[in-house]
Order: sequence, then structure tokens, then C-alpha cells
Amino acid sequence: MPTFQLDGKTIPFEPGDTIIRAADRQGIEIPHYCWHPGLSAPANCRMCLVEILPKAGQRPMMLDILELDASSGEYKPVQKPKLQPACYIAAAEGMEVLSDASANVARARRDVQELLLLNHPVDCPICDQSGECKLQDYWLTYDKTQKRMRDEPVHKPKAVEFGPTIVYDGERCVMCTRCVRFMDEVAKDPVLDMRQRGNLNEIFVAPGRKLDGHYTFMTEHVCPVGALTTKDFRFKARVWFLRTAQSVCQGCATGCNTHLDYDPRNNKAYRYRPRDNEKVNKYWMCDEGMLTYKEAHEGRVLEATVDGAQRSVVAALDAVRDMFQGVPTESVGFVLSARYSLEDNWALRELGLVLMGSKNLYTSGRADGYEDDILIHRDKNSNTQGVRQLAPGAKSLQALVDDVSTGRIHHVVALGGSAPVDVTPLRGAKVVVVAAHRGPLTDAATVVLPATSWAEHSGTYVNARGMRQIADKALEPQGSSKPAWRLLADVAVALGYEPSWTKLKQVRTQLIGSAGADASSPSLPTSPAE
Amino acid sequence: MEPLDVDLEEGEIELPAEPMHLNMGPAHPAMHGTVRIVLELSGETIVKGDVQVGYLHRGFEKMCERGTWAQVFPYVDRLNYVSPMLNNVGYALAVEKMCGIVVPERCQWYRMALGELARISDHLTCTGAIAMELGAFTPFLWYVKAREMVWDILEEETGARLTHSFGRIGGMAHPPTPAFKDLCRTALPQILAIVEEGERMLVKNRIFLDRLENVGPISGADATAMGWTGPCLRASGVAYDVRKAHPYLKYDEVDFEVPVGTRGDTLDRFLVRLGEIRQSKRIIEQAVERMADDGPVDCDDPRVVLPPKDDVYTTIEATIQHFKLVMEGAKVPKGECYSYTEAGNGELGYYLVSDGTGTPYRVRIRPPCFQITGGLSRLIEGRMLSDIVPTFGSLNMIGGECDH
Repeated sequence: MPTFQLDGKTIPFEPGDTIIRAADRQGIEIPHYCWHPGLSAPANCRMCLVEILPKAGQRPMMLDILELDASSGEYKPVQKPKLQPACYIAAAEGMEVLSDASANVARARRDVQELLLLNHPVDCPICDQSGECKLQDYWLTYDKTQKRMRDEPVHKPKAVEFGPTIVYDGERCVMCTRCVRFMDEVAKDPVLDMRQRGNLNEIFVAPGRKLDGHYTFMTEHVCPVGALTTKDFRFKARVWFLRTAQSVCQGCATGCNTHLDYDPRNNKAYRYRPRDNEKVNKYWMCDEGMLTYKEAHEGRVLEATVDGAQRSVVAALDAVRDMFQGVPTESVGFVLSARYSLEDNWALRELGLVLMGSKNLYTSGRADGYEDDILIHRDKNSNTQGVRQLAPGAKSLQALVDDVSTGRIHHVVALGGSAPVDVTPLRGAKVVVVAAHRGPLTDAATVVLPATSWAEHSGTYVNARGMRQIADKALEPQGSSKPAWRLLADVAVALGYEPSWTKLKQVRTQLIGSAGADASSPSLPTSPAE
Repeated sequence: MEPLDVDLEEGEIELPAEPMHLNMGPAHPAMHGTVRIVLELSGETIVKGDVQVGYLHRGFEKMCERGTWAQVFPYVDRLNYVSPMLNNVGYALAVEKMCGIVVPERCQWYRMALGELARISDHLTCTGAIAMELGAFTPFLWYVKAREMVWDILEEETGARLTHSFGRIGGMAHPPTPAFKDLCRTALPQILAIVEEGERMLVKNRIFLDRLENVGPISGADATAMGWTGPCLRASGVAYDVRKAHPYLKYDEVDFEVPVGTRGDTLDRFLVRLGEIRQSKRIIEQAVERMADDGPVDCDDPRVVLPPKDDVYTTIEATIQHFKLVMEGAKVPKGECYSYTEAGNGELGYYLVSDGTGTPYRVRIRPPCFQITGGLSRLIEGRMLSDIVPTFGSLNMIGGECDH
């Protein structure tokens, strides 16, 4: 692999790499606003300027400039080396690049930073980006000087509604055009552009249009400053109070990698951020997915119910025991759910197949929906592949409805509340549902046991491309909920069996030996979000 | 149980021969904070004294790992709470050592003057309390009156009498007030007059001398071996003073002596402290003389020093600086350091570990009186029960500092 020198360090690169990308791969950050690894490089912020030393025998590229001599107060003609943007210059074999090591670069960065802050409003205390803002970080690292401009800053439109999800603040904008390029290049909907020049530069939405579609949140995500904010997160939380768990989006079968940001003080999830993963979602997520963090709190089953009345989990388990007294196992159906983790489904399969010796496995999940060729998958369940691998012969939920109607099945243990078909006929059977969210199945159930959602326990999900991904625990269990695999162990005990699992570790050890979870399936590298 | 009216020959009565166990503290008034001594007594003679310090436990080292580097200052205030300024200065110097910062000269003189004022307050409290616990209440009141004078100055400078939280990384919370020099020059001779008056009362008093002389002696070698520092070590004849041995701030530029004792007994510890008050006065006078009337107190490094408040409200640069320092804390370079200063009771050491973030990874504090209190049992064993009070008093155990 060819290499070049950056501040004396040897950096390998692939042909075609720019300097900034090759350095980024080595974990070396060259400061930048407009460059984004997933977008084209316009080289307009000038923050990534570096000094490229001339080859031996070549004349250095110099610029004639006037410099103020502080002692005499006069301008003197001097020369300085011409700096070049690291995001635009392709790395070349043997190239010698100075970044942090060059005084010229340090001065250029300071000047660029000063320029970017000239008209910036004093907004940090009310800005949602505060705490994760590039302007703040770079000022303290590369500028550190106070304002020299004494003029009134230029005022621009604030709180402009770009569409149903995004609000724009012109004064905070550094005109990096990341949002414009995202809409052009990734969302393929060139609805944003820039107008005016210089001080009056601003981002605007094409006349007659709104910033809408399925990828508007990403314009906020790529914004390095607080110019674009989402209506959903605006003024909701201060980011330094939030903690982050590495999670996986449950919105569809793509399984986008996410950061789930939550506040441990009130045990509440506040937002998703995409987690970079070249193999799954690259740097992006769709709007629908970005909002699914809300499912950690909305529509939840938090307490056990028996015949619709709230009971303690213990009382509900007693009711389950009474319900299943003397019931022949061949008339019990077990419904796996494509929306629950491998661990949960494994526990239910273990209860049905191994402990109770039944062969009546079914699967449930959500019905198919919208799809596109960017990220959104038709299958709206996060673990369809996992359930298919665990129970290849499982029948559809419609088959269960039919079996109940014919009377072949009259007792059901089900995971999850969602159902793609009409499940009203199940009201005739005795149904136990272990679920995190309410849905048609919990409505039809006799006993509902409260399970934790994906945000409250560690779980494994297999996405549409067969990749196993683990979503970490973020929140503490809400209400009386427990992980579904744990509740299913309790159900097994209530029915008089001895479950082989009471701890997550036991589930995972046995899961590895079982179908659908061979150790060779691709496990994913997790890279930190930018 | 034997009936009481049994007619026994007097010679046949056997007194119980087992040692008596007695708890002194943790709530005994002479136990300065919460220390418990489990005593094994033979009559009034101490056979064994088990000193237990764990009754005051806040876990301050752990608390330091939660906030930013600057938020540690209020915690160190509460180490030796009779001389918080010395702890503040010591911690500030430790962090500055890690950051490679040297504060302006004016600040160095200011820190010395304030620190020595705190040392006077520390020694006045200790020596006054020794007298009070032996029944001499008048000198105690005098010394507390003198301490009030010190605290008046500190209050004028910092706004707080006891827990100032006045140190800052790279400077002090405020520059010296215009009146600072005059306050010191006026108060110090008065304080010294009170100290000498009390001293005359005490060291010519037979009862006081009998209670202190040759009580709880320790040799210089033993004291060194146990890790003693400060006035208690110097009373045993070892002239180790961090200010002389490893000068910091401007201590190498001022004239002062290190008072030492000869016998290492309680009286020597008492007299060394009084001697140090005189030396502190000399240091303050020189510091005040040489401190510039204007000029910067805080160093010129936006990575650690807060911007002026006016700018924070009006310019984005200062807002960012303020925000980064308050919300994330000053970033201290990755690494570790041990920094030590002479506090009221001896060498106060800070061993700091930074992982490069705004929050300390580890703050280990070496409080001088932890080691000194560790030597208490050997000072009192074999002595009378009543000797505990002056001996323990002369060690100046401070509960807040001993918290480990």
C-alpha cells in the first residue's frame, strides 16, 4: 500500500484517497466542517488546510501577502506558503504533509475559525448543538482568541421552518453545504440550496417545496453546528446530560446501527443518532427509524393483566398455571415474534419444543410496508431472519388463527403484541402474551406479561442480510417489566417445568449451539459515530 | 453472687486483675472530630491504645472523580478545614504542574500571603485548643480572637471565613483587594502581641508545663520512620520543611527560619507551632512587600481560565470558552503527577492521574495528619489516661483530613 507522511507519521492510503480520508482511517483528525466521509468534498470551509512540502528540487508554491507590522502600524509585503485543502488533494506516494506541525496551518485554522465566528450569535446557552458543536471544539483547540471585530454582526433569518421536521437558523450556519449535498447525493432529492454570497449567504428550500421525504433528519445529523435542528429534539434535553448506548434500530429489517441517547436521571430515551457502519447503514438512517426511539416509552405494556385487569406478575403467573392445568401439549400453540431478539425467541422455542414437546410453532410480526432503495426495507420487523433461522418450519400467524378456528389449538403462548393479520378469532382461545408493546395480540390475550423493550435489555437481532447485531441495554426496565426470555423462564416454572436458563449468559451459550446462531455468522465491527 | 455480709479478712479480697477496656470517643469532646481510641487500662495507666479513625468517612477522593478538575476545590477546602487556603493552593499547584502552567508572580505572592495567614489560623487553633483542653480557657479565647483577625482578612479577600474555595487552576478566584496589604500590616502585629501574651501565660505556668513536658515524646528517627512531617516532625529535631527543602511559589526568595524542637515531646510540638506563627508573620510581611499592586493574577491560558463575565454575555468566543470550561472542564493532559506543599500539619501531597479529559481519573491525597495520627498509640501507651488529651491535641488531628 502506498504511503505518505503526515507530520512525520507514515500514513497508508488507497489510490484515490484524499489526505483527510487516509488520515481519518488512521484515526487522525484533520479539523473540518464541510467534509463528511459519506459525501462529496466541496472544500469550502477551508478548515482542513494543510501545508504540502514541495518535492526535492521544486520551488515551493508561495503567495504574496501584506502583513500588518504591529510595531510600525504599516503593512509590509511578505510571502507565505500556499496551503491546500486536505479534503480535496489526493494523497500521493511520498508526499510530505504538515498539519498540526505547521505554524502556517495553525495560523490558517485560527483565522478560519475567527472568520466563522464573526457573525455567530451568542447562542450556546439556548442551542441544541451546544456540547457537541464543532465550532466550540475547534475554537478551544485552534483559535483561543477573543473577538476583534467591533461591528454589529450580520443578522439572518432564525427559526425558519424548512419542513415538518427541520428548523433552520441562518445565523448559526457556517455554509458547509453538507445538508445540501446530503439531499443531492444520498436522498436524491435536491431540495436544498444556497443563495446570496459572502455575509448574506444562506441555505434555503426550493420555492414551492418543503424539506420533506424520508431522510430529512440526516440533514440535521450532518450539520456540524446548530444551524439545523429537528423539531423532535429541539429544546428537549442538554446533550451533556445524556448517556449513549450502542443500539440497533427496530423499525425495519435493515437493522441500522444507532446510538440511543438517554437521560439516566429520568430513565428516558431522547433520540437516535446513526452509528457509522459501512456494511449496514453507512452513516445514515431514515426519518421513520430515527423516531422509533419513542417506542421505548410509547404503547408499552408495563404491568401484567389478567382478563384486562391489572395484576401483579406473580398473580398473572398463577393465572397462567391454572389456565394450563391438564391441557394437552398438542393443543398449545407457540408464537415467535420477528420483532423480538434471538434470546427471547430462543426461550419461547425452548419452552415449546423442548420443555413442552409441542410442534406448533408460528411467527408473528408487523405487516410489510414502504420500501426504497436507500435504507428502508419492506419488512418492518427487526429479526425476521433470526426467527426464520431459529424455527425454519414455523407457520404463519394466519395458520394459527385457522387452527384456533378449527379448534385444533385452544391455548397459545405468544411473544409480542403485533400481528399482520386479523386476530379476533384468537379471543376464543386462552392466550398468554409476553409483550413490550400493546397490539392486536395483547388485546386478544387472556394474560399479558410485561416484557422490556429493546432499549432496556441487551439483545441480538439478525437483519435482512443475515448479520447478527447486538443492541445494548440503555434504560432501566420500566414498570414491572422483565426481559421476555426471563419471563418465559418464569412461565416455564409456573407450568411445572425446569427451564435451563435464568441468566442472559446461559441463554447466549445455548443459543450459539442452536440453529440460526452459528458462531460464523458475520459479527459486526462497531465504529464510533463521527 | 456472694452475699455482702460475709465476714472476710481484708487480705483475702482479690481485686480484679484484668485490664479495663474504655472507649474514648468517637464522640468525646477532646477527640477533635470523630476518632475513637479503644483503651486497655491498668488502673489509670494505658496498656494499649487502639486508635480508630474511620468514623468520619465521606470518600472525598471518590467524589473528586465525578466533577471537573475545578470542582475539586470545594472538596479540598474540607480536608484540613482550619487552613483551607493551604489545601486550595496545594491542589492548584498540583493541577498546574500537570498542565505545565506557572501563574503570574503577583498570584504567587498572593497565594503565599493567603497560605501563611491560613497557617497562622491553623496553629492558633491547635495551640489554643491544647490549653483549653487542659483547663486554661483564657488563652484559648485570646487565640480565637487572634484567629478571628486572620479570618476577617480572609473574609475580606475571599468572601468566606472558613471554606473559601478560592483557588483556581491557573490563578485565584479574584485579585487581591486594594486593602489587602494594609489589612495584613495592621493585623499581624496585633495577632503576634496576642500570641505572645498567651505564650507568657502558659509557658510560665507550672501546671501547664507539667502536663506537657516529657509527655508523648518521639525521636526524630521514629517520627521520620512513621512518615511524620510538619511541626510534629520538626519538634523531634528534624528540620524538614517542604518550603525549605523543595521550595515552591516564591519561598526560596523570602527569609524565614524553620523552628525545631529537641525532645519531641508535647511541649516541643506546642512551642514549634508558636515559633511557626512568628515565621509566617515574617513571610507574609515580605510577600505583601513584594507583591505588585496591579498586573494579572490569572495566567493567560484560555484552556483553563474562565473569560471575563461581561464578554461571556456579549461575545460568542467567550461564551464558548466559558461553556467548555464549565460543562466539560479544563482538559488536563494525560499523565500523572505528585505535587506536595507544606500545609498546616506537614506535607500535603496530591497524586493526580489524568486520562486527558475534563474529569480527574484519580485524586489521591496524602493528608499529613493521617500518618501522624497513626503514631498516636505509641505516644500514649504506658502513660496515664489524662496524658491522652494534651498529646492528641498537640498532633492536631483534623478529622476532615484524616478521612481515609
